[in-house]
Amino acid sequence: MENKIAPDCSDFLPPPLPDLIVFGSCRVPSPIIMATRLQYENNCEIGVFSKLTNAYCLVAIGGSENFYSTFEAELADVIPVVKTSIAGTRIIGRLCAGNKNGLLLPHNTTDQELQHLRNSLPDSVVVQRIDERLSALGNCIACNDHVALTHPDLDRETEEMIADVLGVEVFRQTIAGNILVGSFCTFSNRGGLVHPHTSIEDLDELSTLLQVPLVAGTVNRGSEVIAAGLTVNDWTAFCGSDTTATELSVIESVFKLREAQPSALVDEMRKSLIDSYV
Amino acid sequence: MVQYNFKKITVVPTGKDFIDIILSRTQRRTPTQVHKGYAISRLRQFYMRKVKFTQQNFHDKLSTIIEEFPRLDDIHPFYGDLLHVLYNKDHYKLALGQINTARNLIGKIAKDYVKLLKYGDSLYRCKSLKVAALGRMCTVIKRVSPSLAYLEQIRQHMARLPSIDPNTRTILICGYPNVGKSSFINKITRADVDVQPYAFTTKSLFVGHTDYKYLRYQVIDTPGILDRPFEDRNIIEMCSITALAHLRAAVLFFLDISGSCGYSIAQQAALFHSIKSLFMNKPLIIVCNKTDLQPLEGISEDDKKLVMEMKAEAMKTVIGQGGEATDDDSVLLTMSTLTEDGVIAVKNAACERLLNQRVELKMKSKKLNDCLNRFHVAMPKPRDQKDRPPCIPQAVLEAKAKKAEETAEKEKRKLERDLENENGGAGVYSASLKKHYILADDEWKEDVMPEILDGHNVYDFIDPDILMRLEELEREEGALQGLEADDDFEMDGAELTPEEQAALAEIRKKKSLLIQQHRIKKSTAESRPTVPRKFDKDKQFTAERMGRQLSSLGLDPSMAIDRARSRSRGRKRERSPDRGGNDGLDSMEVDGDQQNKKLRVRSRSASRSRSKSRPPGEVVPGEGLKDTAQKKKAIKMAKRSSKKRNKDARRGEADRVIPTLKPKHLFSGKRSTGKTDRQKFPLLWIHIQQPVASHVWGSCIRYAVQLQQPAIVENLFVC
Repeated sequence: MENKIAPDCSDFLPPPLPDLIVFGSCRVPSPIIMATRLQYENNCEIGVFSKLTNAYCLVAIGGSENFYSTFEAELADVIPVVKTSIAGTRIIGRLCAGNKNGLLLPHNTTDQELQHLRNSLPDSVVVQRIDERLSALGNCIACNDHVALTHPDLDRETEEMIADVLGVEVFRQTIAGNILVGSFCTFSNRGGLVHPHTSIEDLDELSTLLQVPLVAGTVNRGSEVIAAGLTVNDWTAFCGSDTTATELSVIESVFKLREAQPSALVDEMRKSLIDSYV
Repeated sequence: MVQYNFKKITVVPTGKDFIDIILSRTQRRTPTQVHKGYAISRLRQFYMRKVKFTQQNFHDKLSTIIEEFPRLDDIHPFYGDLLHVLYNKDHYKLALGQINTARNLIGKIAKDYVKLLKYGDSLYRCKSLKVAALGRMCTVIKRVSPSLAYLEQIRQHMARLPSIDPNTRTILICGYPNVGKSSFINKITRADVDVQPYAFTTKSLFVGHTDYKYLRYQVIDTPGILDRPFEDRNIIEMCSITALAHLRAAVLFFLDISGSCGYSIAQQAALFHSIKSLFMNKPLIIVCNKTDLQPLEGISEDDKKLVMEMKAEAMKTVIGQGGEATDDDSVLLTMSTLTEDGVIAVKNAACERLLNQRVELKMKSKKLNDCLNRFHVAMPKPRDQKDRPPCIPQAVLEAKAKKAEETAEKEKRKLERDLENENGGAGVYSASLKKHYILADDEWKEDVMPEILDGHNVYDFIDPDILMRLEELEREEGALQGLEADDDFEMDGAELTPEEQAALAEIRKKKSLLIQQHRIKKSTAESRPTVPRKFDKDKQFTAERMGRQLSSLGLDPSMAIDRARSRSRGRKRERSPDRGGNDGLDSMEVDGDQQNKKLRVRSRSASRSRSKSRPPGEVVPGEGLKDTAQKKKAIKMAKRSSKKRNKDARRGEADRVIPTLKPKHLFSGKRSTGKTDRQKFPLLWIHIQQPVASHVWGSCIRYAVQLQQPAIVENLFVC
C-alpha cells in the first residue's frame, strides 16, 4: 500500500484577502418615482389585497396599519381609503371590481360588509352585490372608467349589470389566451399593462378596444400576474416590493405618471429593455 | 445562468480531525456488544460490518470534498484562470488527485480485510483484523493530511472571493498602481474600498454596483498593473490581467496625468500598449485622472502626443465595433475624483458604450424575436367619436402644482400607522372601521345597528333610497288625499249594521277555530297514527255528519239525508248463509231457492265428507260456562270489547307478528361443518325438526317470503 505524500503546500498559498469584502450596492439613488413599492404582510401581491380606483381605494384589514397607511399617505387627502373585508376574506382585490362610478361585489359578500362599504363610499359610487357564479369578480373583470374586459363565461345579466353599475362598454375578451382577464392586465384611463406573452396583434386590438396605449410587461421581478402585483389609477400606482427599476419605469411611462409618456419606452428605454429581457 | 458560489463548500477537516470524526462515528453507529460465545459467523459479521461502515464513511466524506471543489476546466474561464493565478492549478489538481487516490486505497483496504475476516476463526482474530483494517485506513488519511490542510485554506480563501458574475454588465477599472482606481469606485458605488497613498493598496478584485438607465452594472476594481514582462508579474497583478482577459466588460484605463502616482505618462502609455491586446472587442475609455493637480491642456507636448497615440488606439476599438469615428468625446475623458469633476460623465460614458455594445450583440440573437412584443407600445386607433378623458381629482393636480413650487414644505398628515404606534403598536391597537364613514350626520357614525330584529335580518329590508321613496310615496298619497277629500271612505266596525257585525263575528270565530284546529293537528302530527277516513270519527262520511254540516251552513239537511239513505245499499241478509238452517243433511233442498250462484256451488260441495263443526254457542265441558245462553253472551261480550279497538285499526294481540326478521343467532357466528344449510335455510330446519300442523306451513312460507329468500320457499315445497 503505497501512497503519494502531499508536498508542503504552504509556499503556494495565495496572499491573504482582507477579512471583510464589501459588496457595494448603488450609491447613486434611483430616480424619484411616482409609483410606490410596498408589501402586504411580507407578500408582494398587493393587488390581491387592495382595489384602487379614481374615486376610492379599498384596502384589506391586516395585522398592522403599515399597508393601510401607505395608501393613506398617498391618497387619503383626495379619495376615501377604506379598510374592509369581502366575504370574510382579505383577498378583496380579487373578489370585487369597480371604477369611479360603482363597485361590484360577489354574492358571498355579507350584509354587514355591504353596509360598511355603502357607509364608507361617497353616494356617487353605486355599490352593488351581484349573483354571479364566478365570485372572484376581480379576476374576471378588468375595467377603467369607460371600458371593461370580462371573462367570456360571465352571465348575460352580470354583463348588463357591469354596463349599468360601472357605466362602461363591456367586451368579452381573453389576454394571451388567458380567460382571467382581470388577473393578467391592469389599465387606467391613461394606459395599460398586459400579460408579457400578448402578441403584437393582440396588443393593437386590445388597445383599440380600450382606447388607451398598452404595453406587454411584468411586475414583481418577472411575475406575469399583472393585476396581482400592480394596482393603479389615473394619477398613482402601487406595486409589489419585488418590482425592479426597469419594470417600474415601464409602468411609469405607460400609465403616464410623473409626466412620462409611453413613447419613452421605444426611445430612451429601449436599450435597457433589450439588455434586461434578451 | 450559472451562479458561482464558492461559499457553500463544506469545511475540510484536518487529517487528525478527519480520523476522529470517522472512528467515533463507527463507534456510535455500529453495534458494540459482542461475546466470544457467539457463533463464529455472527462474530465475523460483527467485525465485517465495522470495517465496511468505516470504509463507507471515509468514502462519503472524501467524495464530497472531490465533488464540491470546482473543477477548473468546467467553470467559466475567468474563474478558472483566477483560481489558477491564486492557487496554482497544478497544486490544486494534485491535492484533489491525492484525495481521490486515498479514497480508492481505503476502498481496496476494506475489500482485502473483509476477505480476510471471512477466514477469522475466533473473536480475537476477527478483532485483530478489524483493528488492522481501521489502522491502515487511518494511516492513508494521515498521509494526505497536508493536502487536506491545503484544500481547507483554499476553501476559506475562495469563500471570501467577491461574487463576480462573468456574464452581466461589467465595468472594469485598470491602470498603474495609485492612479485613483479605488477612489473612483468609491465615488460611483457603495463599495468601501480601502484607499491609501501608496502602491498596491488594493491586492485583490473588488466589486461594487451602480445603476444607469434602470440597469445595474457591476464595477470591478482591479489591483494596479506594472509594465513588465508577463512572467514577472506577481499574483496581485495577475488578478487584474485575468479579469481583463476574460470579462466582457467596458474597460476604463486610468491615466494619472499629474504623475503624482510616481509613474510618468510615458510609463503608463507603455503599459497601455503592452496590454492593449487585452482590450480587443471591448469598449475602451482612457480616463485622465487628477485634473485638479494638472489639467490635460497643461501637459508637455511629448506627453500630449503619447496621450493622442493612446486615444487613436482606443478609437480603433470604437471603429472595430462599427461605431462612428467622429464621436471621440467618449474615448478620452478627464476627471478628478477629488473634486468629483467629471466622475459621473465617465461612468455614464462607460455604461452607455457597454450598453450599446451589448444591445448590438443581442439584436443579432434569435431570442430577440420572442420578446419583440415587449418593446412594442400599442397606441389606440380611434374607433368612435366618444371622448374618454382621464379622471384626476382637482386636489391631486393642485397638490402636484404645490409640490413643484415648494418641494419640502408640506404638512404631514397623521397616519393610522402613527396612531397605531402611539396606542400600543400592531396587535394592540385596533382602529375603528366606522371612523371614516360618509354619513349625513357625523353623530351617526358610531351608532349600533342591530343585525337581527324580531326574527328578521335587518339588512334584507335596507334600501339605499328608502327615504327618497318614502317621500315620493307621501307626495303621491298627499295628492290622492287632496283628490278624494270629499268622499272619504273608512272601513270600521262602528259603521256596520248589527247583522253585518254578527256575520263578521261569526267569520272571525270560524277563522280562529280553524287556526286552532290546524295548530293542534300540526303539533301532534308526528305522534298520531294515520287512521283511514272510514275509522276517523270526525272525518268519516256519515249521514249524521252531512246533516250537521249542512245545517251549520244554514241549509235544510233532511232532503239530502233521505236521498243518501235511499241510495245506500240495503242490508244483504241473504248473503250470509243461515247456519242454523244449513247444518242439517237436507241442505240441498234449502239451497234450491237461493239466488246466489257461488253460495250454491259451495253448499253443494259441502258434502258428507266434511266433518260438521261445532256451532259457536254449544257448551263444551270444562269451559266454565253454564249453558248455551251464557256462552253466547260471553262471546258477544268478548266481541264487543274488541270492537272499538278493531274499528280504530289498532294493533291487537291476535295480529300476526314477526318479532325479528333475521334472528341473530341464526345468522351470525362462525360456522362449523354442517351448519351452512341450517343458517341459510332456517325455516326448512324448523320444519324438519318438528312436524307441525298444516296451518304453520302457510306462515312459514310467508316468513320466508318476507326474508326475501326465494330459495327457502322452493326448498320448503321440495320437502
